[in-house]
Amino acid sequence: MTQIVFFILSLGTIIGALGTILCKNAYYSAMWMISAFVSLAGLFVMLNAPFVAMLQIIVYAGAIAILILFVMMLMDRRVLNNKQRFNPQYFWGIILGVGLFSDLAVLAFKFRINISNAGKSLTLHGSNTKMVGDVLFKHYLFPFEIIAIILLIALIGAIVLTKKDEEEAR
Amino acid sequence: MLIEYMIVSALLFAIGATGAMIRRNFIVILMSLELMLNGAGMLLITMSYYLGNVSGQIMFIFVAAVAASETAIGLAIVVMMYKRKGSIDINDFSMLKK
Repeated sequence: MTQIVFFILSLGTIIGALGTILCKNAYYSAMWMISAFVSLAGLFVMLNAPFVAMLQIIVYAGAIAILILFVMMLMDRRVLNNKQRFNPQYFWGIILGVGLFSDLAVLAFKFRINISNAGKSLTLHGSNTKMVGDVLFKHYLFPFEIIAIILLIALIGAIVLTKKDEEEAR
Repeated sequence: MLIEYMIVSALLFAIGATGAMIRRNFIVILMSLELMLNGAGMLLITMSYYLGNVSGQIMFIFVAAVAASETAIGLAIVVMMYKRKGSIDINDFSMLKK
C-alpha cells in the first residue's frame, strides 16, 4: 500500500517537474509546477512531516506560485511566450543534466547509513508541530532571527529594484 | 525505501538544473530554481525521517525562507529588465558584456 502511494506521488512530482521545463506556454509551466509541489507535499506527509507538508503547500504552491503568476499577468502575452523555447546549445544542457542525475544516482546506490531509528523522535506529545517548534525555538533561535533579517533585506531590495528613478518620474 | 526517495530527489534536482540550462524564458528559469531547491529540501526531509532527527525539517523551513527571498529578488529583476528592454529572453539580458 505504501509502495503504491509512493509510486503515484513520485510520478506526479516527476511529471510536474518535466512539464514545468518542457511546456511552451509559461502559464502552463506554472500550473505544472504547482502540481509538482502538491505531490511533493504528499511525499512529505509519508515521511512523518505534516507540518513541513502544510508549509510546502502554503509557501510554495501558495505564495511563490501566485507571485510568479502575478508578474506574468503584468506582462504582454506575446512577449511572455517568445518564439524560441530552448537555447541553441540545449543539447549540452541535457547532457549535463543527465550526467548530474547519473552522478547523484550512483551516490544514492552507494549510500549506507544506520536506519535502525527511522521514524523515531519526530514527535513530541504525539505532535510533529510541537517537536518542530520546540527544536526551532530552543536550538535554532539565532538562525531563525538571521532568516527574518534576510527576508527583510530581500523585500527592501525588491522594492528598490522596481521603483521608478527620480529623473524618470519628473 | 531510502534509495527510492533519494532517486526521486536526485531526479527533481537534475530536472531543475536541466531546465535552468536549456530554457530561454527568465520566469521559467526561476521556476526551475524552485524545483532544484525543492529537490534538495526533499533530501533533507528524507534524512530527517531515516536518521530520527527533526533538525532536517528545521533546515527545510530555512531553505523555504531563502527560496521566497530569492524569488522576490528574481522577479524584481525580471520586471526591471522588462521595463527597460521589453523582453524577458535571457539572451537579451547581456548588457554587461558590452
